[in-house]
Amino acid sequence: MNDIIFQAEGISKNFGGVRAVENVSLQIEAGSIHAIIGPNGAGKSTLFNALSGYYRPDAGKVTFKGCDITHAPVYKRIEMGMGRTFQTSSIFPNLSVYDNLLIGLESAASLSYRIRPIRAPLRKTIEQKLERLLDFVNLRGSAYRPVAELAHGSQRLCEIAMSLSTDPTLVMLDEPMAGLAHAETARIMDVIRKLHSELGLTVVFVEHNMRVVLSLAQRIMVLDRGKMLAEGTPAEISENAAVRDAYIGKEVAERV
Amino acid sequence: MRKRGGLIATAILLVLLLFVPQIAPRIHLAISVCTEVLLFAMAAMAVNLLIGYTGVLPFGNAAFFGLGAYGAGLTIEYWHAGFLSSIGLGVLASLIGALAIGPFLLRRRGIYFALLMIAFGQVFYFIAYRFTDITGGEDGMNFSRPAVEWLGWQLKDENFYYAMLAFFVVVGIVFYILVRSPFGRSLLAIKENETRARYLGLNTDRFIFIALLISAAIEGLAGACYGLSIMFAYPLMLDWHNSGNIVLMTILGGSGTILGPFLGALIFVIGNDILSTAVPWWQIPLGALFVVCVLGFPKGIVGTFLDLVERRRSGFSYEAREPEFQSTSLPKGETTP
Repeated sequence: MNDIIFQAEGISKNFGGVRAVENVSLQIEAGSIHAIIGPNGAGKSTLFNALSGYYRPDAGKVTFKGCDITHAPVYKRIEMGMGRTFQTSSIFPNLSVYDNLLIGLESAASLSYRIRPIRAPLRKTIEQKLERLLDFVNLRGSAYRPVAELAHGSQRLCEIAMSLSTDPTLVMLDEPMAGLAHAETARIMDVIRKLHSELGLTVVFVEHNMRVVLSLAQRIMVLDRGKMLAEGTPAEISENAAVRDAYIGKEVAERV
Repeated sequence: MRKRGGLIATAILLVLLLFVPQIAPRIHLAISVCTEVLLFAMAAMAVNLLIGYTGVLPFGNAAFFGLGAYGAGLTIEYWHAGFLSSIGLGVLASLIGALAIGPFLLRRRGIYFALLMIAFGQVFYFIAYRFTDITGGEDGMNFSRPAVEWLGWQLKDENFYYAMLAFFVVVGIVFYILVRSPFGRSLLAIKENETRARYLGLNTDRFIFIALLISAAIEGLAGACYGLSIMFAYPLMLDWHNSGNIVLMTILGGSGTILGPFLGALIFVIGNDILSTAVPWWQIPLGALFVVCVLGFPKGIVGTFLDLVERRRSGFSYEAREPEFQSTSLPKGETTP
């Protein structure tokens, strides 16, 4: 069994009177693909935002690489090796793909405050990393186009590459397949597999499509109405009666 | 090509600016108005750093302009500061103002940032307005321009323009280096999408604070020089009307472009000068121009021009194609999720 890289204990988040997430705990092994799944309004994204520092949780503790990061500012989490994407692609729309990636690479190399130009050898290393990222998501052909002009799926890929630009060990993807067509979904799934197999990263992703999750994830957590319904391997989850009744539906579960 | 075009435009502009004292009298333009254009262009550049390159709205920016002017005036009046030291102290006053209000401004973004900044700007306005014993209150304060003599060169009214042009060129070069550096790129990232910038590891609060300080220093310099050029500082310099004028110049010329604010200041200051002597209702055409600009050309004159050039060019250029999708790994029976 691998080390636990990321751990959340008793996370709760309320919005006014609505309990979006209630007492949810989670452990993620280094180098695994972990999925958070649940129907609409289950609190997946809220949990995700509380874990990644977008919201402060009302209760609970988040630990990353052994450090308590519950109240750490976002930039600290990124420095420690966390990266994330958003449900609606969060990119720099008017900048080229190249610049989108460059900003993260410069941030990772602690060059963001620099005013003097970057010297040639250093610039070259950064450009090589940039080209590797472009190849990884297969966007080299669009490198100099503004991201806003790209197709939705390509914007998503660009965002994934951006989240990789800061050299993370844990990548959090919030509904990476949301709103994508069949072919584009397959492309994103390939990339997620490569994140795990080629780059050896730990991946956590939110998804509401059970089939995608069962074929990608090694561990799955099911949320329903803000609470954890079940947790386990894909086989355990598809066998779980509560999950089957509440979420998948009998017919689909039998086919899987 | 865009870069070369910009270089050519800048070179032509510089040559024109060098010969302004020879050209201006022939077109019945006072040289003091030309100096004013330079200094307001400098202030607009400072505002442009925040609006066009960082994405925050400095609607109380005139506080920095006024602090620069009062800083220079008060130090000349009470401490007998020299020419350069009075300008330096004006910049310092403006920086201290920014240091004081910055931490409060950073707590909000968007329109609330703008409103907070107007409020803080008005605080400085009322300080200048109320402390009559020191600042001269509503009447403002007159002060003399310290004499300058460097190696036999004397600063006079005739060559004051050139001294200001030197400051303007230095600020322009600094601005150019700044916005094209990794630091400038980080600011642009914050303008484009602050959440994403944060999730790329940028401490966005600190970046905005630094941008605010740089902007305040540049605008303080413009204010101090303006004070020295008219040998006068008055409360309305700090007022939100003045902030509005400088924001208007920036947007009119084109925020987010290097030459835009200069063009905006040129149109605004000279338009003001000509129109205000010709018609009493000169603010109406100016307002109309601003409305047309915001509705029709939100990128300003320079920004719209650059877009046109770009569009014409891209019509001939090779467009990179999207890579083909490969569908290999989707489980059977899958449709759009």
